[in-house]
Amino acid sequence: MAEGQVALEVSGLTKRYSPEVTIGPVSFAVREGEFFSLLGPSGCGKTTTLRCIAGFETPSGGSITLAGQRLDDRPPHRRDVGLVFQNYALFPHLTVFDNIAFGLRLRKVERAEMERRVARMLELVDLPNLAERYPAQLSGGQQQRVAIARSLVLEPSLLLFDEPLSNLDFKLRIQMRYELRDLQRRLGKTAVYVTHDQSEALALSDRIAVLSEGRIEQVGTPSEIYEQPASAFVADFIGSSNLVTAQVRGDGGGADTTVETDHGLALTIPRLADAAGTTLVLLLRPERFQMAGDNGDRVVANRFPATVRDVTYLGEDLHLRVLAAERQPLLVSIKNSKGTRAITAGAVIDLAIDPDDIHVLRR
Amino acid sequence: MERGRAVPYWALFVGPYGVYLLLFLVLPFANVALLSVYLHSPTKIAVAEFTAGNYAKLWEVYYASLFLRTLRLALVVTGVCVVLGYPLAYILARSTSRVLTVGLFLLIVPLMVSTVIRVFGWVVILGSEGLVNQALRRLGAPDGVRLLHTEGAVIVGLAQQSMPFMVLPIMAAIERIPPSLEEAARNLGASWSQMFARVIVPLSTPGLVSGALLVFSVSMSAFVTPALMGGRRERMVGQQIFEEVLTAYNWPGAASLTIVLAGLMLALVALALWATGRRARLETARR
Repeated sequence: MAEGQVALEVSGLTKRYSPEVTIGPVSFAVREGEFFSLLGPSGCGKTTTLRCIAGFETPSGGSITLAGQRLDDRPPHRRDVGLVFQNYALFPHLTVFDNIAFGLRLRKVERAEMERRVARMLELVDLPNLAERYPAQLSGGQQQRVAIARSLVLEPSLLLFDEPLSNLDFKLRIQMRYELRDLQRRLGKTAVYVTHDQSEALALSDRIAVLSEGRIEQVGTPSEIYEQPASAFVADFIGSSNLVTAQVRGDGGGADTTVETDHGLALTIPRLADAAGTTLVLLLRPERFQMAGDNGDRVVANRFPATVRDVTYLGEDLHLRVLAAERQPLLVSIKNSKGTRAITAGAVIDLAIDPDDIHVLRR
Repeated sequence: MERGRAVPYWALFVGPYGVYLLLFLVLPFANVALLSVYLHSPTKIAVAEFTAGNYAKLWEVYYASLFLRTLRLALVVTGVCVVLGYPLAYILARSTSRVLTVGLFLLIVPLMVSTVIRVFGWVVILGSEGLVNQALRRLGAPDGVRLLHTEGAVIVGLAQQSMPFMVLPIMAAIERIPPSLEEAARNLGASWSQMFARVIVPLSTPGLVSGALLVFSVSMSAFVTPALMGGRRERMVGQQIFEEVLTAYNWPGAASLTIVLAGLMLALVALALWATGRRARLETARR
């Protein structure tokens, strides 16, 4: 995804609410046709950024350009940007047809053309027979599709999504995720998607910007964000993780470097030059642990006994909270299988983790 | 809920006020209705002899124009309140709670003052030696302008006094419209005024109807304001009733005026409710 023209450029965007509460400066560029997510906990500034792009907040500084044109000095109704709201924001007094035709009527599109375009949209979002219904008669998923159709029918250069799936129940949310992705790919629309749900961001996005306390922590593809988090915050926010502080032991002159965690667990990690005596933060993803013996004769460097403190049964997976080397607490996720039935609190199991699966965050 | 109880439970809730209404509204009103078909006697006020004469008399030009003027003034006042009250209601509905508290207080404070005192406030402002005329004289209009005791003064006075009845129901209706609907409309290309006309107005119509009915009723039956701020000749029905009762001692005449006034108001209220109810029924029928 390295090539492609920049469609949206946000640079140095700031929003001051008070001297203590300031968002930004936030800078990022979204390429033509890219699905770009702003991900972070509530209060991180992702929604403020989106609302600045849509024109519902006035930035205190910085600039927003869309297709080379300054956006931030235009009123919200002249921005050519479609926004899909968390609560869908359908007009309750208008039918599905009139909701979708709302923007076309304002643009004085003639009747026949309008009917044709609305019908095509209804087809596209798979609601062809509901044109005469009122929003209150639709399910949450149907309302969401109408909201998307209402924005898409105007063929905006940019689509904005403000947590559009968070009001749906779990199964529907997963299904709508796929539909949204398909639709965006098919139409090749540039999209900026705001969410606090990391799995949603990973599943949908070409690239993700992780925000915390008004600043961007990292911008990258889903796998970059997950595999090579730039900070402890990102590592902790994306997926579940063990963040462990460790000292580098000796020089580590060989192929590998050896470290010992504050709680006395010795681990081998990929070679770090000139790191002797330094303190590191290590990221150990729970699903990267293996039950020793799982992979037969493959030699694994980091092998240690662990005492199981408790087991959470999740169906597909088991989450174990263990004490490794008697003192190091770890969260471990293993696949549920025949062999895992014997694991109960108090059991001692042999765990292993490949050095390549340990990600080093330098302090 | 207990079974087998003779009195349904809702009667216990509605009953006390029902009795109150019966004693102090329905019965006196029935008495007025009865009085309106009695014969007027200059010596005994009313004689128990049935006649339609009190009503027939209302077709005379004097009374007919009295009713038309009252109706017209009430409609103009309602219109003024809609035009001035709608933006106010919108601002209040969308303001922060601190601004809302102050705004509501300012809106309602006139209701805490007696009508007589409020009207005298207007006399101080609009009278021939009032603030407006003093200012006009300073600016070089020696004769001043007749502001008080005109129809315009009555409209100003009534509109001010009934403004809260217009603003509060509209405000309540606008508060229930999620702000995201406004943003959605703007995002779809509506300017602020297009958004207001296409989203806020249709969704707050029930509040508008309630407000308009309240203002209309209050203005139709106004008495103190037109008596103190209006001209001598351009009376409203309320003043006429007062005169008939206390000056002319023509109680049957006053009663027939009362019944027609009340009937007119009820008819218009019923019409408005029917029209809005019909719209709501049409919308549900389409569902």
